[in-house]
Amino acid sequence: MRRRLKTRILITGAAAGIILLAVIFAGVIAPNDPYTTNALAIRKAPCADYPFGTDNLGRCVLSRVLYGGRTTIAATFFLVFLSFLAGTFIGMICGTCGGWADRLLMRIADILLSFPQMVVAIAVAGILNGGMKGAMIALGITMWVSFARLARSHTMSIRQEAYISSAILAGKSRLNIICTHIFPNLLAPLFTNALTQVGTTMIGLSGLSFLGLGVIPPTAEWGSMISEARAYIQIAPWAVLAPAAVTILTIVVFNYLGDLVMEYRETQG
Amino acid sequence: MNPVRRKKSVLRAEHLSKRFTDGKRYTDALSDVSLSLGEGEFLGVVGESGSGKSTLLRAISGLVSIDAGEILCGTERMTGRGPREMGHKLQMIFQDAKSSFDPRFSMERSIRESGRGEWDPAQVRSLIDLAGLDPGLLSRKPTALSGGQCQRMAIVRALYSGAGILLCDEITSALDVSSQAQIVAILRKLKAQRGLSVLFVSHDIALVRVVCDRVLVMKEGHVVEEGLIADVVDDPQDPYTRELIASARRQSL
Repeated sequence: MRRRLKTRILITGAAAGIILLAVIFAGVIAPNDPYTTNALAIRKAPCADYPFGTDNLGRCVLSRVLYGGRTTIAATFFLVFLSFLAGTFIGMICGTCGGWADRLLMRIADILLSFPQMVVAIAVAGILNGGMKGAMIALGITMWVSFARLARSHTMSIRQEAYISSAILAGKSRLNIICTHIFPNLLAPLFTNALTQVGTTMIGLSGLSFLGLGVIPPTAEWGSMISEARAYIQIAPWAVLAPAAVTILTIVVFNYLGDLVMEYRETQG
Repeated sequence: MNPVRRKKSVLRAEHLSKRFTDGKRYTDALSDVSLSLGEGEFLGVVGESGSGKSTLLRAISGLVSIDAGEILCGTERMTGRGPREMGHKLQMIFQDAKSSFDPRFSMERSIRESGRGEWDPAQVRSLIDLAGLDPGLLSRKPTALSGGQCQRMAIVRALYSGAGILLCDEITSALDVSSQAQIVAILRKLKAQRGLSVLFVSHDIALVRVVCDRVLVMKEGHVVEEGLIADVVDDPQDPYTRELIASARRQSL
């Protein structure tokens, strides 16, 4: 069972790796410049020169998908990483110190969780006048909460472990115990959560871009590409299908990888 | 005159009280508990679940704060000093040995962490020999060791810390019979060779009889009987102690 699970993790991990490599090396792989318009190749169907066809301005859709992946994936990873850091730090403070700090921070978290994440994100992104930075702030406002709650509950449970009592009796300081025992033992569940958050964040960022609250054109980004091309979907469906398909594929791959890693950790007991 | 009682006291707890509150409800885990542990003495603490045995150890070690009472190590007043300072004087061995080691650390790293001075491999080696363990186990993580091996490593770690008092909290209850026998053999060796003082919590009165000099019987946070182990087992004065011994005899049958 665990062996099969390991194989599935390796295959899904390889798929995620291929996606990441493709966007990292977009400059090498992309057949055309993603921003060069071509009046002679407007809405051209997929062909040898333009494997995914062209859009309304004659730009290569494949090249834009690859470069757009850079924007989407880089922003997603950066946002997940920041949320991971902020949430873990806040969760560890709550779980270790308890008292009024814990009560205050967890009530703030409860308030943020009581609103649908996307509604808050749209409102905040609207106030911030859109742009990728605004979209990231808008999603980041609520994203740290899941990490904080997870880090808090695991910190509280780790604190009850006998090895923490042993470390205290060995004279280790609170900071030393947090750094050497609590934080490293939190990493596995938080990393799993981070993997599952990749898909959600990607949906959020692409969603905001689709609504015109994310990246500002002509920057290539999957959500904004879908938004731009939906106006002429009946004439050039490839311009919508290509970025939509890679968005779905990437989300599925990272969500599935997160689920598999979680399952693997559960079988470890 | 009791010959064991004449020994110099290394640990005294006087009139300890601890109340746990949960909203309006409360539990008196310890009520006016006093004990004295002599140098080189093994003092057993028996009682059924919820009698306050583990709380007593955690209160003495400073892991749980006390509401009232005094703790003295020799003549030094230790009340309110906290577990980090208490760790110089005493170490605790827990019921679940595996969970008393960080799952990410090798045994060597865990033992190294418990020491307060320079790393002394020769001393660790001699302790490993005393515990009858294979030195190769030092490089392994707790998940790669059996419960009995982990518990013996926990004893090694406690001894390596240099503390003169061990607080053993049900250290054999999670082990199989052969591992229990190994632990008992190590404790006897420690008694004979090192003159260590041990507060030995167990619900197994038969085991306490084998290992300890004196025994303290606890019920609902109170000490109901105290005395030499042979006296208490052969002629229990308190009805609860009689019940406990009768129940232990029934189980052994």
